[in-house]
Order: sequence, then structure tokens, then C-alpha cells
Amino acid sequence: MFDWPLLQQNAPLLLDALWVTLQVSIAALAIGFVIGIVVGSLRLSPVPLLRRLGGAYIFVFRGIPLLVQLLFIYYFLPRIGLPNVSPTMAAIIGLSLAAGAYIAEIMRGGFLAIPGGQLEAAGLLGLSTSQMLLRIRVPQAVRLTLPALVNEMILLIKASSLVSVVGLADLTRTAQNLAASDYMFIQDYLMLAGFYCLINVPLAYCGSLLERRLKEQTA
Amino acid sequence: MIFDPKIVTDHLGDIGSGFLVTLGTWSSGVVLGIALGMLIAVAQVFGNNFVRAPLRVFIELIRSTPFLVQLFLVYYGGPAFGLSLDPIPAGILGLGVYGSVYFAEIFRLGFESVARGQLEAADCLGISRLQCIWRIQVPQMLVIILPALINMITVLCKETAVLSIITIPELTMVLTGIGSETFAFVETLLMLCIGYLILVELCSRLGMLLESRVGRFMSRQPR
Amino acid sequence: MNSLLIPSGAVSASTREKQGESMKISATAPGEQPTILTLSKVGKSFGPLRVLKGIDLEVQRSEVVCLIGPSGSGKSTLLRSMAFLEEYDEGEIRIEGQLLGWQNTDKGRRRAPQSQINQVRRNIGMVFQQFNLWPHMTAIGNVCEALRRVRRLSADEANKRGMAMLEKVGLAHKANAYPAQLSGGQQQRVAIARALAMEPHIMLFDEPTSALDPELVGEVLQVMKTLAKEGMTMVVVTHEMGFAAQVADSVIFLDQGEVVARGTPQQIFHNAEQPRLQQFLQNYLDRNAFWQDSKPPTPNL
Repeated sequence: MFDWPLLQQNAPLLLDALWVTLQVSIAALAIGFVIGIVVGSLRLSPVPLLRRLGGAYIFVFRGIPLLVQLLFIYYFLPRIGLPNVSPTMAAIIGLSLAAGAYIAEIMRGGFLAIPGGQLEAAGLLGLSTSQMLLRIRVPQAVRLTLPALVNEMILLIKASSLVSVVGLADLTRTAQNLAASDYMFIQDYLMLAGFYCLINVPLAYCGSLLERRLKEQTA
Repeated sequence: MIFDPKIVTDHLGDIGSGFLVTLGTWSSGVVLGIALGMLIAVAQVFGNNFVRAPLRVFIELIRSTPFLVQLFLVYYGGPAFGLSLDPIPAGILGLGVYGSVYFAEIFRLGFESVARGQLEAADCLGISRLQCIWRIQVPQMLVIILPALINMITVLCKETAVLSIITIPELTMVLTGIGSETFAFVETLLMLCIGYLILVELCSRLGMLLESRVGRFMSRQPR
Repeated sequence: MNSLLIPSGAVSASTREKQGESMKISATAPGEQPTILTLSKVGKSFGPLRVLKGIDLEVQRSEVVCLIGPSGSGKSTLLRSMAFLEEYDEGEIRIEGQLLGWQNTDKGRRRAPQSQINQVRRNIGMVFQQFNLWPHMTAIGNVCEALRRVRRLSADEANKRGMAMLEKVGLAHKANAYPAQLSGGQQQRVAIARALAMEPHIMLFDEPTSALDPELVGEVLQVMKTLAKEGMTMVVVTHEMGFAAQVADSVIFLDQGEVVARGTPQQIFHNAEQPRLQQFLQNYLDRNAFWQDSKPPTPNL
């Protein structure tokens, strides 16, 4: 059932594509993290309007399928005068916006887990709101949410399989192209699945390890 | 960039059928996923290691790969195993298998959430394992896992958009088709977004309603 | 020592009165063995820790046996073994002559099939420290569940018997309340009704009042006293020495997985000879007699 020479021929191509997938996912995680912190703290803002704004962002970007969001970017960006956005950029924008919504929810949970007394103490010492956010809340929230963030990375790597709709030759698209030319569907797609596992299984392991450690520390 | 309602009214029939296909694949996928997930969870909780180990691998594999890749394997790879499915059955099977492992994890946590003492009490009264699962564990865990369950069901709703890639004529496929026919991308895509938002929101509202209903016995106030 | 457990001429007045009543209620058939529960050399280990070290015990029909001892003495494990909630690994437990939980084969013994375990368990009712009511069912639902699913009674019949049991524990008016709407004492009474509904020949109580607020302990003990008076065979793990002194026919003191002392309440509480028992009772007194004179409490109660 397997054609080994072909496998050896295709594997390097997929390895290159894996690099594309990873780049896009990591970039999206980084940008999504920033969006997540902003939106997550908006959700906890004392100002009702800001809370609503944060809520609306999460509602929209979590509620719409990623594929549709990507299609939107693909067709919509040229319409608002950005015809020359590269496929990589479009993919990163799409993934980041969606990741931001999920990370915002994660960060909100992290922020809420920090005992309120700490912030009162910081306020009494005269720290400003942004200082409190960056020096006290974010570092602790990140520690508390690290397992969830690792999980988010896995989700992003999987979600990036959809970026081919904006024309980026990621792992999935490359395998699709290979399968379309050699008709070895099972072989090519199993190899594709293998490449995803190669990244995600160790990541998942790290995630559960971190989770266990966190549990021990907080217990 | 002005919204032209004519685009929508002209293709109302197509959009309606696309909507029905989305609803149909979604609900069938959810039912299949929940059924498979329940089986997996029961096997994991009550089975021996010979059952558990391969299930663990299966769960890990499904969780580590994108839904699209699984869909490709079922739809394009299926024929090599003598499983030639039309797009829609393949899509439903893919959705069900993909959802099953997440449902299984939810159910497993649910089973573990019911206090052991309650099962001992049932044991002492001679209530059988199966009756115990069905009458004591499932009703209670439903309350606890309902939020996670509803969340997973909405996730599957969004995943149905991916089915368009294997040419299932659901909402996304129909509307982007109309878009590229008429070049009215803004109208069709907006419509698409709003359509999914309504579906997802409806689902979570329904879930909240259900939560307040099934959780009643937890409240201290008499009805 | 064994003779202490058998109601003989030396039993208290309350026991005699009980025996008279038990004739009417549990109607011991002539020729039926008076011994309902027999433990011989029962042992149990959790890993390297041997929590039960060869316990021998007999319980007669209508007898009330209280197990006392410090925490970690193995008394709960012993009681749970009697319902095979713990798999004891040495010795034998027999309920009305039937071996509980194990099957003797030529290759040694192995776990009996569940149906057989349930068959032996039919005659046991168990009441837990944490009540273990099913929170998604009403009080009457809890009581009727096993009647319906195990005894296969019709809804009407189960309901009738269930209500009678709730009546017995004084909670008929709470039949439709969910456990969360009941006080701890009420929940425990429902749990007792649930066990009673199956008409067990012997009731096991695992610290039935330990999880209760002090003011709720009385109502549960009252129900248990009534049961004892009616001739129910009971084994009770308890910290309520008052209850043990009043109601028990025999008291067994366990420490470190061994029976250190056994006897009538009189012998255990008033004439304790064993140093470990004396120490245990002393600790109990120190904890519970703070309102008495500040003079050091005497070893004898």
C-alpha cells in the first residue's frame, strides 16, 4: 500500500511546508496574545462600555467559523484598498484575530484567579493601572494559564490547516497538491497527519506536564 | 459597498437549502459524536488496559490532527479501505469521529465528578453497573458537563463550514458560490457571518435554558 | 470472650425487652441459626500497611454491636468489608452462612461474580457517614430507586413501601424534597429509610453522625434507637459513646487493626482493664467533659 520511494521524495517538501505552518502559527500566537491581554482586560474593565466592547470582540471572533473569517479577509482586504497583502500576512491576520478572542477568555480566567488583595496593595503603593497590568497581573496570569496557552498553540497549528483559502502553501495545502498529482491519497494524507502529530503530541505532553506542575504548586 | 438585498432575495432557495444541509450535517455529526464519545468514555472508565491503551492512542491522534486532514482521510482515503462515501455521509462521519474524542473527554470527567460514595450506596442496594451509569451517573454528570457539552456542540457547528472544502453544498459553499457568481462578496460574506453567529448564539442560549432546568435539584430552595 | 457477644443471662434489661419484641417483628424461624454474621480471621492490607489483623467476630440476630476506636484503627475498613465495599484479603466473612465476596476454587479463591455478591448483600443495609444520597432524586425517589430497579416492584407498590419507610424515620412530609433542601440529619434519616426499604436482616452504620452538626445528631440517634428496640441487627461504627453505652449489647474496641477489648457496655466503659482502651476513654473524656469540675477526670467513668 505504501510507496516508499515516493514517500522519501515527498517528505522533504512537507518538512518545508511544516516550517510555513509553524511560522504562521507562532506569529499568530504572539499577536493573538497581545490582543488577548487587551481584550481580556477590557472584559474586566470597570467601564461598562469597554466591557461590552471586549465582549463583542469575543462574540464575533469566536462565533464565526475561522474558514469564513479567512474568506472575509481574502475578499475584503482588497476592497478596502489593500490589494497587495501577501498570503502569509493575510493568514497571520486571520489566525491572530481569532486566537485573540480565545486567548482573551483564557486571560480573563487568569486575571480573575489573582487574589484581589494583591491589586489593592499595589494600588495603595501608587502603581498605575498599566503598571499593575504589566508588572503584576500579566506575569501571574501567564503562569496560571500556561497550560491553556500551550493548548491554544495546538489549536492554532490545527486551525492553520485552513489558511490555504488565502493562498498560502502550508502543510495541508502542500499535501493536497502532492496527492492531486500522485493520487496516493492515503499515503500523502497519513504522512500529513503524521507531521501534525510530530508537533502536537509533544506539545500536548508539555501542556499536561505544565498542568500537573501548576496543580502541585497551587495545591 | 452598499448592501444589496437583491442578492439575497434572488437566491433565497439556494441559501435555504444550504442552511438545511448545514443544520443536517451538524445535528447528525453531533448525535454520532455523542454516541461514539459515550462509548469511548464508558470503555475508558470501566474497561481494562487492553481496551484503554488503543483508545488513548486513538484519542491522541484525533486531537493532534486538524479536522480538515481527518476529513481528507475519510473522503479521499476511504476508498482505499473500501469505504467510498458521498461527500455528505463522509462529512457526517468525519464530524462524528472528530467530535467523539472531545465528547469522550467531557463524559470521562463527568463520570469522575460523581462522588464514589453514591456509587457505593447503589452497590450496597444491589443496583447493577449499567443501571448505575444510566440512572445515577449520567443524570448528575449532565448538569456538570452541560456547559462543556454545549461549547463542543457550537464548535462542531463552526466546523461544518470546513465541509465546503469537500464540496458539501452547505451554507459556506452556497454563499461563497453566489459571491463569486455575482461578485457581491460583501453581502454574501456578511450574511454568512451573521448566519453562523445566529446559529451559535441560539445554541448557547438553548444550552443556558437547559442548564437552569436540569440543575434545579441542586438548589436549596424548594420549588 | 466470644460468649460476651451472645445474649445470655447476663444481658441488660433493654436487651431482654428487645428480644421479646424481635419475636414479633423479625419472626426468627425455628431452627434458623441465631448467628447472622460471622467473621473469622479477617485481614486486609493497603500496600504494606496491614489495617486489619485477623479479626474474629460474631453477631447474633437482634444484637446491636458498636465498634469504637481511635481514627485509623481500622473500624471503618472492617465495617466496609462486611458489605464487601473493601475486598478483605484474608479470612472469611459469612452472612447467614453464605461466604461474602469470594469463591473458593481449587486454585485458591477469587472474586465471586457480581450477581453472587449482590445475592449475599441482599441482606445487608448500609448507612454511610456522608449519607451518599443521590442528589438528583427526591427523598422518595432515593428510597424507591432500588425497590423499582432491583426488587422490580411496581411504581405504586414501591411508592407505598417508600412512604412507609419515610414515615418510620419521620420524614413523610419531606418526600418530594431534594437532598440539597434537607438538613444533614434529615438526609441521613432518608439514607436510613433507603436502606431499610430493602428489608435487610442486618444494618451497618459507618459513623452515621460524624458529618452532622452537633444539634442534628440527636434525631438520627433516635431513629437508630427505635430500630434497635424493634429488634434490628445492627453493627455501628461510632464516636457517640453515649449511644454505645445505652443501646449496644456489646462494644468492641479496635486499635491498630486488632480487637483490643470486647464486652458489654458496662465492662468496656466502667471496668476497662486494657491500657489502650483506658487511654482512649480518657482522651474522650478530656475532650467532652470540659464543663465539669476542673478536677482531673477519673479513669473510670
